[in-house]
Amino acid sequence: MKRYVLLVIALGFLAIYLFPLYWMYLTAFKPSSETFTFPPRFWPTDPQFNFAKVFVEKKMDVYLWNSLVVAVGTTVIAALIGTGAAYALARVRSVWMDVALFLILMMQVLPPSLMATPIFVLFNQIGLIETPRFAVILAQTAKVLPLYIVLCRTSFMQIPKELEEAARVDGASRLSAFLRIIVPLARNGILVTSVLIFLQSFGEYVYSRTMISQENLQTATVGLMNFMGPNTTDWNGIMTYAVIYVTPIVIVFMLLQRKIVSGLTAGALK
Amino acid sequence: MSALLRSLRDGRGFDAALACLALAYLFAFSAFPLIYNIAMSFQEVDMFSLGDLIRPFVGLANYKTLFAAPEFWPIMANTVIFVVLCIVFQLGIGFGLALFFQQDFIGASYLRGLFLAAWIIPALVAGAIWKWIFAGDFGVLNYLLLSSGLINEKIFWLSTPAISLYSVIIANVWLGIPFNMILLSVGLAGIPKDMYEAASLDGAGPWKRFWHMTLPMMRSTLGAVVCLGIIFTLQQFDLFASLTQGGPANASNVAQYWSWQLSFQNYDIATGSAVSVLMLGLVIVVAFLYVRSTRQEHRA
Repeated sequence: MKRYVLLVIALGFLAIYLFPLYWMYLTAFKPSSETFTFPPRFWPTDPQFNFAKVFVEKKMDVYLWNSLVVAVGTTVIAALIGTGAAYALARVRSVWMDVALFLILMMQVLPPSLMATPIFVLFNQIGLIETPRFAVILAQTAKVLPLYIVLCRTSFMQIPKELEEAARVDGASRLSAFLRIIVPLARNGILVTSVLIFLQSFGEYVYSRTMISQENLQTATVGLMNFMGPNTTDWNGIMTYAVIYVTPIVIVFMLLQRKIVSGLTAGALK
Repeated sequence: MSALLRSLRDGRGFDAALACLALAYLFAFSAFPLIYNIAMSFQEVDMFSLGDLIRPFVGLANYKTLFAAPEFWPIMANTVIFVVLCIVFQLGIGFGLALFFQQDFIGASYLRGLFLAAWIIPALVAGAIWKWIFAGDFGVLNYLLLSSGLINEKIFWLSTPAISLYSVIIANVWLGIPFNMILLSVGLAGIPKDMYEAASLDGAGPWKRFWHMTLPMMRSTLGAVVCLGIIFTLQQFDLFASLTQGGPANASNVAQYWSWQLSFQNYDIATGSAVSVLMLGLVIVVAFLYVRSTRQEHRA
Protein backbone atom coordinates (compact mmCIF):
# COMPACT_ATOMS: atom_id res chain seq x y z
CA MET A 1 0.00 0.00 0.00
CA LYS A 2 2.72 2.44 1.03
CA ARG A 3 4.46 1.81 -2.27
CA TYR A 4 1.42 2.93 -4.25
CA VAL A 5 1.08 6.09 -2.18
CA LEU A 6 4.73 6.84 -2.91
CA LEU A 7 4.16 6.21 -6.61
CA VAL A 8 1.26 8.67 -6.66
CA ILE A 9 3.29 11.32 -4.84
CA ALA A 10 6.17 10.74 -7.27
CA LEU A 11 3.84 11.21 -10.25
CA GLY A 12 2.59 14.40 -8.60
CA PHE A 13 6.12 15.78 -8.26
CA LEU A 14 6.87 14.89 -11.86
CA ALA A 15 3.67 16.52 -13.10
CA ILE A 16 4.44 19.77 -11.26
CA TYR A 17 8.01 19.72 -12.45
CA LEU A 18 7.22 19.02 -16.09
CA PHE A 19 4.31 21.47 -16.19
CA PRO A 20 6.29 24.04 -18.26
CA LEU A 21 6.77 21.40 -20.98
CA TYR A 22 3.04 20.63 -20.88
CA TRP A 23 2.29 24.34 -21.15
CA MET A 24 4.52 24.58 -24.24
CA TYR A 25 2.69 21.71 -25.98
CA LEU A 26 -0.72 23.00 -24.91
CA THR A 27 -0.06 26.55 -26.15
CA ALA A 28 1.18 25.19 -29.46
CA PHE A 29 -2.12 23.33 -29.94
CA LYS A 30 -4.35 26.25 -28.94
CA PRO A 31 -5.92 28.51 -31.56
CA SER A 32 -4.35 31.97 -31.32
CA SER A 33 -7.61 33.46 -30.06
CA GLU A 34 -7.56 31.08 -27.10
CA THR A 35 -3.91 31.79 -26.29
CA PHE A 36 -4.83 35.12 -24.74
CA THR A 37 -7.76 34.22 -22.60
CA PHE A 38 -7.60 34.89 -18.91
CA PRO A 39 -8.23 32.66 -17.03
CA PRO A 40 -6.26 30.37 -19.34
CA ARG A 41 -7.61 26.97 -20.36
CA PHE A 42 -5.68 23.94 -19.19
CA TRP A 43 -7.05 21.53 -21.74
CA PRO A 44 -7.27 21.90 -25.54
CA THR A 45 -10.89 22.35 -26.55
CA ASP A 46 -10.25 23.05 -30.19
CA PRO A 47 -6.76 21.76 -31.05
CA GLN A 48 -5.04 23.40 -34.00
CA PHE A 49 -2.23 22.04 -36.07
CA ASN A 50 -0.15 25.07 -37.06
CA PHE A 51 3.05 23.09 -37.30
CA ALA A 52 3.41 23.06 -41.10
CA LYS A 53 2.51 26.75 -41.32
CA VAL A 54 5.05 27.87 -38.68
CA PHE A 55 7.67 25.53 -40.11
CA VAL A 56 7.38 27.14 -43.56
CA GLU A 57 6.82 30.74 -42.42
CA LYS A 58 9.74 30.77 -40.02
CA LYS A 59 12.04 28.97 -42.46
CA MET A 60 12.67 26.34 -39.87
CA ASP A 61 14.11 23.98 -42.47
CA VAL A 62 17.09 26.33 -42.88
CA TYR A 63 17.57 26.87 -39.13
CA LEU A 64 17.20 23.22 -38.19
CA TRP A 65 19.55 22.19 -40.97
CA ASN A 66 22.20 24.58 -39.65
CA SER A 67 21.75 23.29 -36.11
CA LEU A 68 22.13 19.78 -37.46
CA VAL A 69 25.33 20.72 -39.32
CA VAL A 70 26.79 22.23 -36.14
CA ALA A 71 25.72 19.30 -33.95
CA VAL A 72 26.94 16.60 -36.34
CA GLY A 73 30.22 18.41 -37.01
CA THR A 74 30.86 18.88 -33.30
CA THR A 75 30.01 15.29 -32.45
CA VAL A 76 32.21 13.86 -35.22
CA ILE A 77 35.27 15.93 -34.32
CA ALA A 78 34.80 15.35 -30.58
CA ALA A 79 34.46 11.59 -31.13
CA LEU A 80 37.50 11.41 -33.43
CA ILE A 81 39.77 13.34 -31.09
CA GLY A 82 38.21 12.43 -27.76
CA THR A 83 37.89 8.64 -28.00
CA GLY A 84 41.62 8.05 -28.21
CA ALA A 85 42.35 10.50 -25.43
CA ALA A 86 39.71 8.93 -23.20
CA TYR A 87 41.31 5.53 -23.79
CA ALA A 88 44.83 6.75 -23.07
CA LEU A 89 43.70 8.48 -19.90
CA ALA A 90 41.87 5.38 -18.72
CA ARG A 91 44.73 2.97 -19.46
CA VAL A 92 47.93 4.69 -18.46
CA ARG A 93 48.67 5.53 -14.85
CA SER A 94 51.41 8.10 -14.66
CA VAL A 95 52.03 11.57 -13.36
CA TRP A 96 51.79 12.95 -16.88
CA MET A 97 48.38 11.43 -17.44
CA ASP A 98 47.20 12.85 -14.12
CA VAL A 99 48.37 16.27 -15.23
CA ALA A 100 46.63 15.81 -18.59
CA LEU A 101 43.37 14.79 -16.93
CA PHE A 102 43.59 17.74 -14.57
CA LEU A 103 44.07 20.16 -17.47
CA ILE A 104 41.15 18.60 -19.35
CA LEU A 105 38.86 18.90 -16.33
CA MET A 106 39.85 22.55 -15.97
CA MET A 107 38.96 23.18 -19.62
CA GLN A 108 35.52 21.75 -19.00
CA VAL A 109 34.49 24.63 -16.78
CA LEU A 110 35.21 27.64 -18.98
CA PRO A 111 31.92 29.49 -19.55
CA PRO A 112 31.25 29.87 -23.30
CA SER A 113 29.85 33.39 -22.93
CA LEU A 114 33.15 34.50 -21.44
CA MET A 115 35.19 32.63 -24.06
CA ALA A 116 33.12 34.09 -26.90
CA THR A 117 35.07 37.36 -27.01
CA PRO A 118 38.60 35.98 -27.40
CA ILE A 119 37.45 33.19 -29.73
CA PHE A 120 35.63 35.71 -31.93
CA VAL A 121 38.63 38.03 -32.15
CA LEU A 122 41.01 35.12 -32.76
CA PHE A 123 38.83 33.53 -35.44
CA ASN A 124 38.32 36.91 -37.03
CA GLN A 125 42.09 37.34 -37.35
CA ILE A 126 42.72 33.96 -38.93
CA GLY A 127 39.75 34.29 -41.28
CA LEU A 128 37.60 31.54 -39.77
CA ILE A 129 34.64 33.92 -39.44
CA GLU A 130 34.31 33.60 -43.24
CA THR A 131 33.07 30.05 -42.64
CA PRO A 132 30.94 30.78 -39.59
CA ARG A 133 29.31 27.38 -39.10
CA PHE A 134 32.72 25.72 -39.17
CA ALA A 135 33.95 28.31 -36.68
CA VAL A 136 31.05 27.48 -34.35
CA ILE A 137 31.81 23.76 -34.72
CA LEU A 138 35.46 24.31 -33.73
CA ALA A 139 34.53 26.43 -30.71
CA GLN A 140 31.71 24.16 -29.58
CA THR A 141 33.97 21.09 -29.92
CA ALA A 142 36.46 22.72 -27.57
CA LYS A 143 33.57 23.30 -25.17
CA VAL A 144 32.27 19.71 -25.17
CA LEU A 145 35.49 17.74 -25.75
CA PRO A 146 36.44 17.59 -22.03
CA LEU A 147 32.99 16.26 -21.12
CA TYR A 148 33.25 13.69 -23.93
CA ILE A 149 36.64 12.53 -22.68
CA VAL A 150 35.55 12.33 -19.04
CA LEU A 151 32.39 10.37 -19.81
CA CYS A 152 34.03 7.99 -22.29
CA ARG A 153 36.95 7.37 -19.99
CA THR A 154 34.71 5.57 -17.51
CA SER A 155 33.60 3.06 -20.14
CA PHE A 156 37.20 2.34 -21.16
CA MET A 157 38.08 1.81 -17.51
CA GLN A 158 35.61 -1.06 -17.34
CA ILE A 159 37.33 -3.06 -20.10
CA PRO A 160 39.83 -5.59 -18.71
CA LYS A 161 43.41 -4.98 -19.76
CA GLU A 162 43.91 -8.71 -20.45
CA LEU A 163 41.76 -8.62 -23.59
CA GLU A 164 44.07 -6.10 -25.17
CA GLU A 165 47.17 -7.92 -23.99
CA ALA A 166 45.95 -11.15 -25.58
CA ALA A 167 45.55 -9.38 -28.89
CA ARG A 168 49.04 -7.94 -28.56
CA VAL A 169 50.49 -11.39 -27.94
CA ASP A 170 48.83 -12.50 -31.17
CA GLY A 171 50.86 -9.82 -32.92
CA ALA A 172 48.43 -6.94 -33.23
CA SER A 173 49.86 -3.45 -33.08
CA ARG A 174 48.60 -0.99 -30.49
CA LEU A 175 46.50 0.76 -33.11
CA SER A 176 44.81 -2.36 -34.42
CA ALA A 177 44.21 -3.71 -30.90
CA PHE A 178 42.65 -0.35 -30.03
CA LEU A 179 40.44 -0.18 -33.11
CA ARG A 180 39.49 -3.88 -33.35
CA ILE A 181 39.19 -4.90 -29.71
CA ILE A 182 38.85 -1.91 -27.41
CA VAL A 183 36.66 0.46 -29.39
CA PRO A 184 34.02 -2.20 -30.23
CA LEU A 185 33.86 -3.16 -26.55
CA ALA A 186 33.39 0.46 -25.47
CA ARG A 187 30.88 1.01 -28.29
CA ASN A 188 27.92 1.60 -25.97
CA GLY A 189 29.66 4.23 -23.88
CA ILE A 190 30.95 6.00 -26.97
CA LEU A 191 27.49 6.06 -28.55
CA VAL A 192 25.67 7.37 -25.49
CA THR A 193 28.29 10.05 -24.90
CA SER A 194 28.09 11.07 -28.56
CA VAL A 195 24.31 11.38 -28.33
CA LEU A 196 24.64 13.56 -25.24
CA ILE A 197 27.21 15.78 -26.96
CA PHE A 198 24.99 15.89 -30.04
CA LEU A 199 21.93 16.99 -28.06
CA GLN A 200 23.92 19.68 -26.27
CA SER A 201 25.34 21.04 -29.50
CA PHE A 202 21.94 20.94 -31.19
CA GLY A 203 20.82 23.55 -28.65
CA GLU A 204 24.00 25.66 -28.78
CA TYR A 205 23.34 29.41 -28.67
CA VAL A 206 26.19 31.69 -27.55
CA TYR A 207 28.72 30.88 -30.26
CA SER A 208 26.13 30.74 -33.04
CA ARG A 209 24.73 34.11 -32.02
CA THR A 210 28.22 35.61 -31.81
CA MET A 211 29.84 34.24 -34.93
CA ILE A 212 27.11 33.70 -37.53
CA SER A 213 25.75 36.88 -39.07
CA GLN A 214 24.22 35.59 -42.32
CA GLU A 215 20.62 34.65 -41.65
CA ASN A 216 20.66 31.58 -43.89
CA LEU A 217 23.49 30.06 -41.83
CA GLN A 218 22.01 30.70 -38.38
CA THR A 219 20.96 27.89 -36.07
CA ALA A 220 17.53 27.11 -34.64
CA THR A 221 18.26 28.76 -31.28
CA VAL A 222 19.21 32.03 -33.00
CA GLY A 223 16.13 31.68 -35.22
CA LEU A 224 13.96 31.34 -32.13
CA MET A 225 15.50 34.48 -30.61
CA ASN A 226 14.93 36.41 -33.87
CA PHE A 227 11.33 35.26 -33.73
CA MET A 228 10.89 36.29 -30.10
CA GLY A 229 12.05 39.87 -30.61
CA PRO A 230 11.60 42.58 -27.97
CA ASN A 231 7.80 42.94 -28.05
CA THR A 232 6.56 39.50 -28.88
CA THR A 233 2.90 38.65 -28.87
CA ASP A 234 2.76 35.56 -31.07
CA TRP A 235 3.21 33.10 -28.22
CA ASN A 236 1.22 30.54 -30.08
CA GLY A 237 3.73 30.63 -32.94
CA ILE A 238 6.75 30.67 -30.64
CA MET A 239 5.54 27.64 -28.70
CA THR A 240 4.80 25.86 -31.98
CA TYR A 241 8.37 26.59 -33.10
CA ALA A 242 9.64 25.31 -29.74
CA VAL A 243 7.59 22.12 -30.05
CA ILE A 244 8.94 21.36 -33.53
CA TYR A 245 12.48 21.99 -32.31
CA VAL A 246 12.28 20.15 -29.01
CA THR A 247 10.15 17.09 -29.79
CA PRO A 248 12.90 15.11 -31.59
CA ILE A 249 15.25 15.85 -28.67
CA VAL A 250 12.68 14.65 -26.14
CA ILE A 251 12.05 11.47 -28.16
CA VAL A 252 15.76 10.64 -28.38
CA PHE A 253 16.04 11.27 -24.65
CA MET A 254 13.08 9.00 -23.82
CA LEU A 255 14.59 6.17 -25.87
CA LEU A 256 18.02 6.44 -24.28
CA GLN A 257 16.96 7.70 -20.85
CA ARG A 258 18.47 4.93 -18.77
CA LYS A 259 21.80 4.94 -20.57
CA ILE A 260 22.10 8.72 -20.57
CA VAL A 261 21.43 8.88 -16.84
CA SER A 262 23.97 6.19 -15.98
CA GLY A 263 26.62 7.63 -18.33
CA LEU A 264 26.16 11.07 -16.85
CA THR A 265 26.40 9.97 -13.25
CA ALA A 266 29.44 7.79 -13.84
CA GLY A 267 31.33 10.61 -15.50
CA ALA A 268 30.53 13.54 -13.29
CA LEU A 269 31.56 12.03 -9.99
CA LYS A 270 34.50 9.81 -10.90
CA MET B 1 62.81 8.29 -36.46
CA SER B 2 62.26 4.55 -36.52
CA ALA B 3 62.45 4.48 -32.72
CA LEU B 4 59.67 7.03 -32.61
CA LEU B 5 57.58 5.00 -35.05
CA ARG B 6 58.15 1.85 -33.02
CA SER B 7 57.14 3.65 -29.85
CA LEU B 8 53.96 4.84 -31.56
CA ARG B 9 53.23 1.32 -32.78
CA ASP B 10 54.03 -0.64 -29.69
CA GLY B 11 54.77 1.40 -26.67
CA ARG B 12 53.99 4.39 -24.58
CA GLY B 13 54.20 6.73 -27.53
CA PHE B 14 50.81 5.51 -28.70
CA ASP B 15 49.01 6.60 -25.54
CA ALA B 16 50.96 9.84 -25.40
CA ALA B 17 50.06 10.64 -29.01
CA LEU B 18 46.35 10.03 -28.38
CA ALA B 19 46.33 12.20 -25.27
CA CYS B 20 48.41 14.93 -26.89
CA LEU B 21 46.08 15.19 -29.88
CA ALA B 22 43.18 16.15 -27.62
CA LEU B 23 45.36 18.39 -25.47
CA ALA B 24 46.64 20.17 -28.57
CA TYR B 25 43.08 20.80 -29.70
CA LEU B 26 42.08 22.10 -26.28
CA PHE B 27 45.16 24.26 -26.14
CA ALA B 28 44.40 25.83 -29.52
CA PHE B 29 40.69 26.48 -28.92
CA SER B 30 40.37 26.85 -25.13
CA ALA B 31 43.64 27.62 -23.38
CA PHE B 32 45.04 29.91 -26.05
CA PRO B 33 41.88 32.05 -26.27
CA LEU B 34 41.99 32.24 -22.49
CA ILE B 35 45.55 33.59 -22.53
CA TYR B 36 44.68 35.83 -25.46
CA ASN B 37 41.76 37.15 -23.43
CA ILE B 38 44.06 38.12 -20.57
CA ALA B 39 46.32 39.93 -23.04
CA MET B 40 43.38 41.75 -24.63
CA SER B 41 42.20 43.00 -21.26
CA PHE B 42 45.42 45.05 -21.05
CA GLN B 43 45.13 46.43 -24.57
CA GLU B 44 43.08 48.97 -26.39
CA VAL B 45 40.72 46.90 -28.54
CA ASP B 46 37.81 48.19 -30.56
CA MET B 47 36.13 47.33 -33.82
CA PHE B 48 38.96 49.05 -35.76
CA SER B 49 41.88 47.30 -34.11
CA LEU B 50 40.10 43.96 -34.10
CA GLY B 51 42.16 42.61 -36.97
CA ASP B 52 45.52 43.94 -35.75
CA LEU B 53 47.99 41.64 -34.11
CA ILE B 54 49.76 44.37 -32.21
CA ARG B 55 47.60 46.81 -30.29
CA PRO B 56 48.47 49.62 -27.91
CA PHE B 57 49.12 48.45 -24.37
CA VAL B 58 47.07 50.42 -21.86
CA GLY B 59 47.99 48.73 -18.61
CA LEU B 60 45.17 48.64 -16.12
CA ALA B 61 43.08 51.28 -17.88
CA ASN B 62 40.37 48.79 -18.90
CA TYR B 63 40.06 47.57 -15.35
CA LYS B 64 39.90 51.15 -14.08
CA THR B 65 37.05 51.90 -16.50
CA LEU B 66 35.37 48.73 -15.38
CA PHE B 67 35.55 49.44 -11.65
CA ALA B 68 34.45 53.02 -12.23
CA ALA B 69 31.37 51.96 -14.20
CA PRO B 70 28.25 52.68 -12.11
CA GLU B 71 26.75 49.31 -13.02
CA PHE B 72 29.82 47.31 -11.99
CA TRP B 73 29.00 46.69 -8.32
CA PRO B 74 25.25 46.13 -8.82
CA ILE B 75 25.99 43.55 -11.53
CA MET B 76 28.58 41.80 -9.36
CA ALA B 77 26.07 41.74 -6.49
CA ASN B 78 23.46 40.28 -8.86
CA THR B 79 25.94 37.60 -9.89
CA VAL B 80 26.52 36.62 -6.28
CA ILE B 81 22.77 36.62 -5.48
CA PHE B 82 22.10 34.59 -8.61
CA VAL B 83 24.71 31.96 -7.81
CA VAL B 84 23.92 31.67 -4.09
CA LEU B 85 20.13 31.45 -4.44
CA CYS B 86 20.31 29.08 -7.40
CA ILE B 87 22.65 26.74 -5.54
CA VAL B 88 20.63 26.82 -2.32
CA PHE B 89 17.32 26.00 -4.01
CA GLN B 90 18.63 23.58 -6.64
CA LEU B 91 20.53 21.69 -4.02
CA GLY B 92 17.75 21.77 -1.44
CA ILE B 93 14.97 20.68 -3.80
CA GLY B 94 17.30 18.28 -5.62
CA PHE B 95 18.37 16.67 -2.35
CA GLY B 96 14.77 16.39 -1.17
CA LEU B 97 13.71 14.70 -4.39
CA ALA B 98 16.77 12.42 -4.34
CA LEU B 99 15.86 11.28 -0.82
CA PHE B 100 12.26 10.75 -1.86
CA PHE B 101 13.15 8.67 -4.92
CA GLN B 102 15.58 6.66 -2.81
CA GLN B 103 12.55 4.91 -1.32
CA ASP B 104 11.48 1.60 -2.74
CA PHE B 105 8.48 1.82 -5.07
CA ILE B 106 7.57 0.82 -8.61
CA GLY B 107 9.24 2.87 -11.31
CA ALA B 108 11.25 4.99 -8.85
CA SER B 109 14.41 5.10 -10.93
CA TYR B 110 12.53 5.51 -14.21
CA LEU B 111 10.43 8.42 -12.96
CA ARG B 112 13.52 10.01 -11.44
CA GLY B 113 15.20 9.84 -14.84
CA LEU B 114 12.25 11.57 -16.51
CA PHE B 115 13.09 14.77 -14.63
CA LEU B 116 16.09 15.07 -16.92
CA ALA B 117 13.72 15.67 -19.86
CA ALA B 118 13.67 19.33 -18.83
CA TRP B 119 17.44 19.43 -18.47
CA ILE B 120 18.08 18.03 -21.94
CA ILE B 121 16.06 20.63 -23.88
CA PRO B 122 18.04 23.67 -25.05
CA ALA B 123 18.22 26.29 -22.28
CA LEU B 124 17.19 28.95 -24.76
CA VAL B 125 13.94 27.09 -25.44
CA ALA B 126 13.41 26.65 -21.70
CA GLY B 127 13.84 30.42 -21.45
CA ALA B 128 11.19 30.96 -24.11
CA ILE B 129 8.74 28.69 -22.29
CA TRP B 130 9.36 30.46 -18.98
CA LYS B 131 8.97 33.86 -20.61
CA TRP B 132 5.49 32.81 -21.65
CA ILE B 133 4.72 31.40 -18.20
CA PHE B 134 5.93 34.65 -16.59
CA ALA B 135 3.97 36.84 -19.03
CA GLY B 136 2.28 39.64 -17.05
CA ASP B 137 -1.23 39.80 -18.49
CA PHE B 138 -1.82 36.32 -19.82
CA GLY B 139 0.83 34.30 -18.01
CA VAL B 140 -0.24 31.11 -16.34
CA LEU B 141 1.90 31.73 -13.25
CA ASN B 142 0.01 34.92 -12.41
CA TYR B 143 -3.24 33.06 -12.95
CA LEU B 144 -2.27 30.24 -10.59
CA LEU B 145 -1.07 32.65 -7.90
CA LEU B 146 -4.13 34.89 -8.23
CA SER B 147 -6.61 32.05 -8.12
CA SER B 148 -4.92 30.45 -5.13
CA GLY B 149 -5.11 33.80 -3.35
CA LEU B 150 -1.36 34.16 -2.84
CA ILE B 151 -1.25 37.50 -4.65
CA ASN B 152 -3.84 40.20 -5.17
CA GLU B 153 -2.72 41.70 -8.43
CA LYS B 154 -0.72 40.56 -11.42
CA ILE B 155 3.04 40.58 -11.04
CA PHE B 156 5.08 41.73 -14.02
CA TRP B 157 7.81 39.20 -13.48
CA LEU B 158 10.24 40.25 -16.16
CA SER B 159 9.75 44.02 -16.38
CA THR B 160 9.76 44.94 -12.70
CA PRO B 161 13.35 45.82 -11.72
CA ALA B 162 13.03 44.44 -8.19
CA ILE B 163 11.74 41.08 -9.42
CA SER B 164 13.34 40.33 -12.78
CA LEU B 165 16.51 38.78 -11.34
CA TYR B 166 14.44 36.46 -9.17
CA SER B 167 12.41 35.38 -12.19
CA VAL B 168 15.60 34.27 -13.92
CA ILE B 169 16.62 32.52 -10.71
CA ILE B 170 13.32 30.60 -10.64
CA ALA B 171 13.84 29.44 -14.21
CA ASN B 172 17.45 28.47 -13.55
CA VAL B 173 16.57 26.57 -10.38
CA TRP B 174 14.01 24.66 -12.43
CA LEU B 175 16.68 23.83 -15.01
CA GLY B 176 19.21 22.77 -12.39
CA ILE B 177 17.08 20.53 -10.17
CA PRO B 178 17.37 17.30 -12.22
CA PHE B 179 21.14 17.40 -12.46
CA ASN B 180 21.51 17.96 -8.71
CA MET B 181 18.99 15.26 -7.95
CA ILE B 182 20.61 12.63 -10.19
CA LEU B 183 24.11 13.24 -8.84
CA LEU B 184 22.92 13.23 -5.23
CA SER B 185 21.03 9.99 -5.88
CA VAL B 186 24.30 8.36 -6.85
CA GLY B 187 25.83 9.46 -3.57
CA LEU B 188 22.83 8.18 -1.60
CA ALA B 189 22.95 4.83 -3.37
CA GLY B 190 26.55 4.45 -2.22
CA ILE B 191 25.61 4.49 1.49
CA PRO B 192 25.34 0.91 2.77
CA LYS B 193 21.76 0.00 3.70
CA ASP B 194 22.66 -2.14 6.72
CA MET B 195 24.10 0.91 8.44
CA TYR B 196 20.63 2.42 8.53
CA GLU B 197 19.14 -0.82 9.82
CA ALA B 198 21.69 -0.98 12.61
CA ALA B 199 20.98 2.64 13.52
CA SER B 200 17.23 2.12 13.66
CA LEU B 201 17.74 -0.91 15.89
CA ASP B 202 19.73 1.32 18.19
CA GLY B 203 16.76 3.66 18.30
CA ALA B 204 17.88 6.48 15.98
CA GLY B 205 14.89 8.28 14.41
CA PRO B 206 14.75 9.40 10.79
CA TRP B 207 15.94 12.93 11.57
CA LYS B 208 18.89 11.65 13.61
CA ARG B 209 19.80 9.16 10.90
CA PHE B 210 19.75 11.92 8.29
CA TRP B 211 21.78 14.33 10.40
CA HIS B 212 24.37 11.91 11.77
CA MET B 213 24.67 9.40 8.93
CA THR B 214 23.37 10.62 5.59
CA LEU B 215 24.88 14.11 5.70
CA PRO B 216 28.39 13.08 6.83
CA MET B 217 28.46 10.22 4.30
CA MET B 218 27.38 12.61 1.55
CA ARG B 219 30.01 15.21 2.32
CA SER B 220 32.23 14.61 -0.69
CA THR B 221 29.30 14.23 -3.09
CA LEU B 222 27.73 17.43 -1.78
CA GLY B 223 31.05 19.21 -2.22
CA ALA B 224 31.35 18.07 -5.82
CA VAL B 225 27.73 18.94 -6.59
CA VAL B 226 28.05 22.42 -5.10
CA CYS B 227 31.23 23.08 -7.11
CA LEU B 228 29.58 21.84 -10.32
CA GLY B 229 26.52 23.93 -9.47
CA ILE B 230 28.59 27.10 -9.10
CA ILE B 231 30.34 26.36 -12.39
CA PHE B 232 27.08 25.73 -14.27
CA THR B 233 25.36 28.77 -12.73
CA LEU B 234 28.25 30.97 -13.81
CA GLN B 235 27.88 29.48 -17.30
CA GLN B 236 24.20 30.36 -17.56
CA PHE B 237 23.77 32.71 -20.50
CA ASP B 238 20.85 31.47 -22.58
CA LEU B 239 18.22 32.17 -19.90
CA PHE B 240 19.35 35.78 -19.57
CA ALA B 241 19.31 36.16 -23.34
CA SER B 242 15.80 34.81 -23.71
CA LEU B 243 14.15 36.10 -20.51
CA THR B 244 15.31 39.62 -19.63
CA GLN B 245 18.49 40.42 -21.58
CA GLY B 246 19.84 41.77 -18.34
CA GLY B 247 17.08 44.34 -18.08
CA PRO B 248 15.25 46.37 -17.08
CA ALA B 249 18.20 48.75 -16.72
CA ASN B 250 20.66 46.00 -15.72
CA ALA B 251 18.40 44.98 -12.82
CA SER B 252 18.81 41.33 -13.75
CA ASN B 253 22.23 41.53 -15.36
CA VAL B 254 25.04 39.24 -14.26
CA ALA B 255 28.73 39.31 -15.09
CA GLN B 256 28.77 36.55 -17.71
CA TYR B 257 25.98 38.22 -19.68
CA TRP B 258 27.38 41.70 -19.19
CA SER B 259 30.77 40.65 -20.54
CA TRP B 260 29.12 39.43 -23.73
CA GLN B 261 26.97 42.57 -24.00
CA LEU B 262 30.01 44.82 -23.63
CA SER B 263 31.86 42.99 -26.38
CA PHE B 264 29.13 42.33 -28.89
CA GLN B 265 26.49 44.98 -28.29
CA ASN B 266 28.59 47.94 -27.18
CA TYR B 267 31.63 46.76 -29.20
CA ASP B 268 33.74 47.53 -26.15
CA ILE B 269 35.81 44.39 -26.48
CA ALA B 270 38.59 45.44 -24.10
CA THR B 271 36.25 46.01 -21.16
CA GLY B 272 34.33 42.87 -22.04
CA SER B 273 37.61 40.95 -21.86
CA ALA B 274 38.41 42.50 -18.50
CA VAL B 275 35.07 41.26 -17.10
CA SER B 276 35.79 37.78 -18.48
CA VAL B 277 39.22 37.72 -16.89
CA LEU B 278 37.75 38.50 -13.47
CA MET B 279 35.07 35.84 -13.87
CA LEU B 280 37.34 33.18 -15.35
CA GLY B 281 39.66 33.66 -12.41
CA LEU B 282 36.79 32.85 -10.08
CA VAL B 283 35.65 29.87 -12.17
CA ILE B 284 39.14 28.41 -12.17
CA VAL B 285 39.36 28.60 -8.37
CA VAL B 286 36.05 26.73 -8.04
CA ALA B 287 37.11 24.22 -10.69
CA PHE B 288 40.32 23.58 -8.82
CA LEU B 289 38.35 22.73 -5.68
CA TYR B 290 36.01 20.47 -7.69
CA VAL B 291 38.81 18.57 -9.39
CA ARG B 292 40.58 18.08 -6.08
CA SER B 293 37.46 16.80 -4.33
CA THR B 294 36.61 14.29 -7.06
CA ARG B 295 40.17 13.07 -7.37
CA GLN B 296 40.38 12.30 -3.68
CA GLU B 297 37.18 10.34 -3.96
CA HIS B 298 38.61 8.48 -6.93
CA ARG B 299 41.76 7.50 -5.07
CA ALA B 300 39.93 6.35 -2.00
